[in-house]
Amino acid sequence: MVRDFVVWLASLGKGSGEYDPSWSEMLASTLNVWGLLEGTHVLSLMLFAGTIFLVDFRLLGIGFRNTPVSVISERVLPLTVAGFILMVLTGVALFYAKPLVYYHNIWFRLKLVFLVIAAVNIFVFHVRVQRDRAVWDTAPRPPAKARISALVSIVAWITVITFGRFIAYDWYECGKPLPHWANVIQECATSEYGAIDLSEMAR
Amino acid sequence: MIAPQDVFPQIADWVANLDDVFPGSWVKPYFAQWEVVHLLSLALIGGTTLLLNLRLIGFGLSDEPPSAVRRAVLPWLNLGVAGILVTGVLIGTSNPERLYTSEAFTAKMLGLAAALVLTYGVSLPAARAEGRLSRGAGLWAAVGLAIFGLSLGVFAVAKLVNPGLWHLVIAAALLVLFVTRRRMRIIYLLGLVGLMATQVAIHHVIYRPDDYANLDPANKAMIGIYLAWILAAAAIQIVRGGRDPGGGPAVKALAYAGILVWVVTAAAGRWIAFA
Repeated sequence: MVRDFVVWLASLGKGSGEYDPSWSEMLASTLNVWGLLEGTHVLSLMLFAGTIFLVDFRLLGIGFRNTPVSVISERVLPLTVAGFILMVLTGVALFYAKPLVYYHNIWFRLKLVFLVIAAVNIFVFHVRVQRDRAVWDTAPRPPAKARISALVSIVAWITVITFGRFIAYDWYECGKPLPHWANVIQECATSEYGAIDLSEMAR
Repeated sequence: MIAPQDVFPQIADWVANLDDVFPGSWVKPYFAQWEVVHLLSLALIGGTTLLLNLRLIGFGLSDEPPSAVRRAVLPWLNLGVAGILVTGVLIGTSNPERLYTSEAFTAKMLGLAAALVLTYGVSLPAARAEGRLSRGAGLWAAVGLAIFGLSLGVFAVAKLVNPGLWHLVIAAALLVLFVTRRRMRIIYLLGLVGLMATQVAIHHVIYRPDDYANLDPANKAMIGIYLAWILAAAAIQIVRGGRDPGGGPAVKALAYAGILVWVVTAAAGRWIAFA
């Protein structure tokens, strides 16, 4: 069902002729727009990941130890949010350029899983961990629950960035002879290139 | 004529052999993993130089003296710089021919040199002195800006790479949007929207989207107009605004350069792959 939606997305704006490109194909084949989107997505890491890591270092008690947590949140997090908006806008546009490629890509799927983990962590931090912040606002080393939250954040974002970079590599591309689990995770059987099982090939 | 192979033709044989010997041969199978560490280091540099230089402009952690912000970011900045240099050399030795023939790589290396000079020679010492620019730092500023200019020049004439300069325009536009306030911000934003509308019109109404012969010079002119508009707004902010900037107009202007020089270096790096 999700795939039907992705197929529909990819075909949106397609003309009546056999070789008329859809909007998605037009975006993917632009001379510079795709490169600028991808470049902006990567460069936004400097703003988004760079600032969120520093906030997490403060919560871990390994950076900005003399600055109250509330001051860091108030002054640094707006930059992080701006970076996140830039990330999401460019990320959505990049997905739209090649939706079926990413849909059947293991790294993209794993990236989404860890994005959800990072989001849940942020939610828990805001509604639970941060509730008694006034008590430990100026503590050089915040309580364990805040440190755990910061550690989860750092690990989740590093994982998201790692899988994001791996998307560009074709190690597990559908249509190649792949281990059974990779074909299952990527739903290769429904992809344009099909699923070729490595063990069945060997037999 | 501006790729490393044009400047250093005598090392061609050495370069051709680099990925067959340690450490290039050793890194090659793990190229993607080393790239990730390169990107994480870049993120650290981005966050730390942004907070450091924003403080000198009068924003971000403006309740703390610049020297305190410097002390807090320095270990992480050093870690990021060390990370980017080590992983950069390792990735480079495993992919040497690509870089040797890349004009973007020349722009990136000049940008890196300028970024290191402007960060360690200007921004950090100025922050340590609570925003005052010493004679020595002023000298480093001149050197850093000269190399930065050279990097931008190479970027601007590099074939198939120069569209990457739009990253500078986007970063500068957002940075100035962040530091402008009230009426100034609205006027500035309206100007940007007007320029974007003009650009869409150029691409879809005045010329056809595939009319590259006409669009190329038009886009180059638009980059100049965008930058003029952004720099004008930045100049007003430098002279007027900001909470307790600490430093004078020169330090504030150099702090803008201190942020954008890293963006240009990273942009040139990304466009190595696109050319």
